[in-house]
Amino acid sequence: MKNQHSIEESHSEHITSYREHFGTWVGLILLTLMTVFISVFGADLRTITVATALFIASVKALVVAYYFMHLKYDPRIYRVLITIVMSLFTVFLIMVILDYLTR
Amino acid sequence: MNHHFTLPNSGHNYDAKASKMGMWLFLYTELILFGGLFLVYMVYRSLNQDAFLLASFNLNVWMGTANTIVLLTSSMTVAMAISALQKGDPKKSIFLLWMTILAALVFLVVKYFEWSAKFEHGLFPGMDHFNQLPNGEKLYFNLYFFMTGLHGLHVIVGGIFIVIVVFKIKSGKVNKDRYQLLENSGLYWHLVDLIWIYLFPLFYLIH
Repeated sequence: MKNQHSIEESHSEHITSYREHFGTWVGLILLTLMTVFISVFGADLRTITVATALFIASVKALVVAYYFMHLKYDPRIYRVLITIVMSLFTVFLIMVILDYLTR
Repeated sequence: MNHHFTLPNSGHNYDAKASKMGMWLFLYTELILFGGLFLVYMVYRSLNQDAFLLASFNLNVWMGTANTIVLLTSSMTVAMAISALQKGDPKKSIFLLWMTILAALVFLVVKYFEWSAKFEHGLFPGMDHFNQLPNGEKLYFNLYFFMTGLHGLHVIVGGIFIVIVVFKIKSGKVNKDRYQLLENSGLYWHLVDLIWIYLFPLFYLIH
């Protein structure tokens, strides 16, 4: 019985507050409006806007993963694993770029 | 000779940690799936920069922006639904999950109007107008329909997943002490949001 009890309590203790979720949402909306604004009104700075748009998208993705997906409060293994997966993707990315640059 | 076996989970067919890790492993494969498509996009776009730019003017930035806000909001409501159930408020949790499903439907309705407009202009692969386009623009629309289509499929699957969780909360199978299924559906939904965060600037904002 004791063992059974410990399993039922094996959920992570941390409960994110509504206020923190709302704050995360506000941040994400502001970043979205910023990226739209830069794109629509900075059309003549083409390469800069693409780089900025991707940078802002990555910040948003990190915020979603860290706060909404709870990575910030999860055991460290989850942050380690996602880092490995993203590194793997970066390797694919570099290999594809090298392939196309050397044709 | 009394053989007494104790299962690692004491006979309870529930293991929150393993369930969560399983969900994350699946999400990694999803990231690589869409990641591969982003690599295809990157290569074709670098080879056809002007064509991609021209083709992207056919998309409505404001519809894309509206859908981005809808998805971000639904990500918040599903995250709040988890907090609500953890705090022992299933009714609030169910309400927040219905809000998430409503957002999923709004997203799909907006997508429907966007795609319909493309069909009317004959821009779907194989249609008359599409066939007359230069190669670069064809590639753009192929990628646009494939990537947003695959993403839309994920929206539908995520929505169904959340509906199932709503009924499990109602029947008490998912509750304050056993909420991993809810958390997994939330993780899946956030992934759908995460993919859209990249699709939106790459297809709508490149001009």
